[in-house]
Amino acid sequence: MLESLLAGLDLALRVDTFVWVSGGLLLGMLMGALPGFTTSMGMSVLVPISFLVGDPLIGIPFLIGVYKGGIYGGSVPAILISMPGTGASIVTVFDGHELTKQGKSRKALEMSLFASAIADFCSDVFTLVMIIPVAAIVLGFGPPEIASVMFLSLVVIAVTATGPVIKGLIMLGLGVWVGFVGADPFSAMARYTFGTSELYDGFHLIPMLIGLFALPEIFAAVRDGDLPGSRVAAFVGERLRWADLKRSLKTIFRSTAIGASIGVIPGLGQPIAAMMGYIAAKNSSDHPETYGKGELDGVAAAEAANNGVNGPTMVPLLTLGIPGDAVTALLLGAFMMQGLRPGPTLMSSSGDIVFGILIAMVLANALFVAIGYVTIPFFARVVTIKKSLLIPVTIMLAFAGTYLARANPFDIVTLIGFGLIGIAAKVARFDVAPMVMGFILGRELEYTFGQTLALAGNNWLQFALTERLGMTGVVVATPIIGIFLGRRMNRFRQRARERDQAEAA
Amino acid sequence: MRSLRTVWRFVLAAFAVGLFAAPALSQERFPDKPITLITPFAAGGSSDLTARVVTTYLHQYLGQPMLIRLVPGQAGQKGTLEATQAAPDGYTLVYTDNFRDQLHQFTFRNNYYDTNRDLVSVARVNYGQIGVIVTTDGPYQTWADLEADARARPGEVRLSHSGLWAALFMPAQHMMIELGLRFRMVPYRGGGPAKAALMAGDVEFSMAFPSTIAADLEANTLRLLATAGPQRLIEDVPSFVEIGLPATTGYIHRIVMAPRGIPDDRLTILRAAFAQLQEDEQYLAAMHRLGENTEYLDGADYEQVRLEQQRDYRELVDAIAGL
Repeated sequence: MLESLLAGLDLALRVDTFVWVSGGLLLGMLMGALPGFTTSMGMSVLVPISFLVGDPLIGIPFLIGVYKGGIYGGSVPAILISMPGTGASIVTVFDGHELTKQGKSRKALEMSLFASAIADFCSDVFTLVMIIPVAAIVLGFGPPEIASVMFLSLVVIAVTATGPVIKGLIMLGLGVWVGFVGADPFSAMARYTFGTSELYDGFHLIPMLIGLFALPEIFAAVRDGDLPGSRVAAFVGERLRWADLKRSLKTIFRSTAIGASIGVIPGLGQPIAAMMGYIAAKNSSDHPETYGKGELDGVAAAEAANNGVNGPTMVPLLTLGIPGDAVTALLLGAFMMQGLRPGPTLMSSSGDIVFGILIAMVLANALFVAIGYVTIPFFARVVTIKKSLLIPVTIMLAFAGTYLARANPFDIVTLIGFGLIGIAAKVARFDVAPMVMGFILGRELEYTFGQTLALAGNNWLQFALTERLGMTGVVVATPIIGIFLGRRMNRFRQRARERDQAEAA
Repeated sequence: MRSLRTVWRFVLAAFAVGLFAAPALSQERFPDKPITLITPFAAGGSSDLTARVVTTYLHQYLGQPMLIRLVPGQAGQKGTLEATQAAPDGYTLVYTDNFRDQLHQFTFRNNYYDTNRDLVSVARVNYGQIGVIVTTDGPYQTWADLEADARARPGEVRLSHSGLWAALFMPAQHMMIELGLRFRMVPYRGGGPAKAALMAGDVEFSMAFPSTIAADLEANTLRLLATAGPQRLIEDVPSFVEIGLPATTGYIHRIVMAPRGIPDDRLTILRAAFAQLQEDEQYLAAMHRLGENTEYLDGADYEQVRLEQQRDYRELVDAIAGL
């Protein structure tokens, strides 16, 4: 193994590899930053390039560059115009856009870049070193365990919602219910579709996100008008300081670990990782009430978690030949095109090339920071343009992005519908964040719970008590954790109330 | 500075002239603009990948690029609908498979299109034959072991599949009907997670296209118990016909369809391009590296296959509904 590692190092240190990785990163960032153009779509369009380039140490690092760049790139419109560029950056909106409104867009973008790059680097090193030992553990985490963790997450979100608990619960429940719309995953029976074929697949995530997050912001901007000095942010704000980064390092490492753990499990993906990382950061913070109101740490938590997923998805792909999602399935095809067959024999047959690719992936992170850093001032300036220009462009991006995602005219209806819900929620001072979390986690919970029931058959009690103790443990612990965190959050709520009263007085 | 601008203007002008003049010059020639290939699948699956291999090499024989347009959704109905509603001028085609083409008319009711009425075959790109897989450290050495266990414990032997009415689900339904067995079907999101469930020991068996598990077979971690078709694919592994299943069970046909009503001469040109593609060494090598065969069939011949499939699927779905 050490031999192939050294041989891989030899293979990876090539100028043309780095040129291609840089190109991939830049393309990925641009595609990710384009709302509606998801990372998997971008890679799917670019995968023939890797077919035509006959060298595995060029074609595959190029695609990996697109992957990493795309997951980070999605945070740019999330922070600037409250429009997640990809599903992975939903959580980045919660705090990122608040920071932009406070005139700190540059700081938020730089935090996103550094959190993403640190998470990518650490999780890539983890992948490189642990790829063989970890493969065996991956499979211990099946639908029952995922279901129990989803259940725990929903409970934690419910009890620790910022603001009144009842409002958080309503939005969370609404999100879970919206997730039920469409064919149920087990019998394909249509639910709440009102006989239409458009709702058969349920609501699509991208138009829903753009509707809930971006349209209310546009609405507010239009309502406030273009008064003198009312640019969305007249200045891009100061740079990220070392002290800011140092303060968030703990969060970044925690989120990286969470992202990496989710990455090695096939099929969970970045949006769930970002939510987990955010929930964990909020609950271990000593000022959780600031999350969702422009907390820099919240951006770090989300972005480190979603980028932490990227490298470790290679573990089940390369060692077991299991692609968990569309992106890894495309990478599987790219590997096979180069004559490399992911699976148990890959490491012994072409270990040097695989390590070469993984080392290129680790080293690409330096380029990641460089390219990202150069492009930030350009991106950050976007919000300094006049409102009368920015608003029409944002509206166009919202609608074009929605259509781009699936070319489905009904998605425009979804966009407007959720936009109205978002506006109503803003007026009534409801937070839409729990709704989105309920939507994503609720669907995952329903699916994995159904799978668990199918696996258990009629002997579910025996199944829970003998075969799946991990799941049972999490389910039993959930109310205890819920009560503990709920009480903790109550103290912070009270403190925030007292502070508000003191300020009022 | 000025000279640079002049160059730009020239390029733009040339581009504009090319854009508008080209159709006028080549009125008779089809195709004279890029062809859209709708794929009713999500990005990243084996269908998406093979479609991209086809379009990477096919343009040489058409004289025009073929552009993929992903229209996923509603189990493939969204993209199929779009293809059936497209103008039958040969500029919009659809890359689909036998489940979406012939099976789903019986499993998902829809009043919008009828694939038999609205689509005509251009070519079958290739096919895949499914196999029954187990782990080598599991309880089953042969298909007979699995069948005996499933008979002894009806509804207890678990199978991971990749989704309702899809490639891993259908052969299992055939087995249950034809052999009088009852499996416990556990759905997963795609073939990858279904394979992971088998390797984790969460389910007793699964199905896979042998190309996707070549490395596992080589490493002796997975074992094939039976493979689709009348003949054996591997010497000591029985075929589906030997274990009592119909010869057509467990096939996925990747096909390119055009809206019916396409002028005959255009259909001929398209079919000829696919025939020529079969001579392209680079295309063949690319497909083989993906573990895919290149068992091409001309569209005219595939029309017969469609009729047989329609009959088989109707019988099967009726039998399932009768259970």
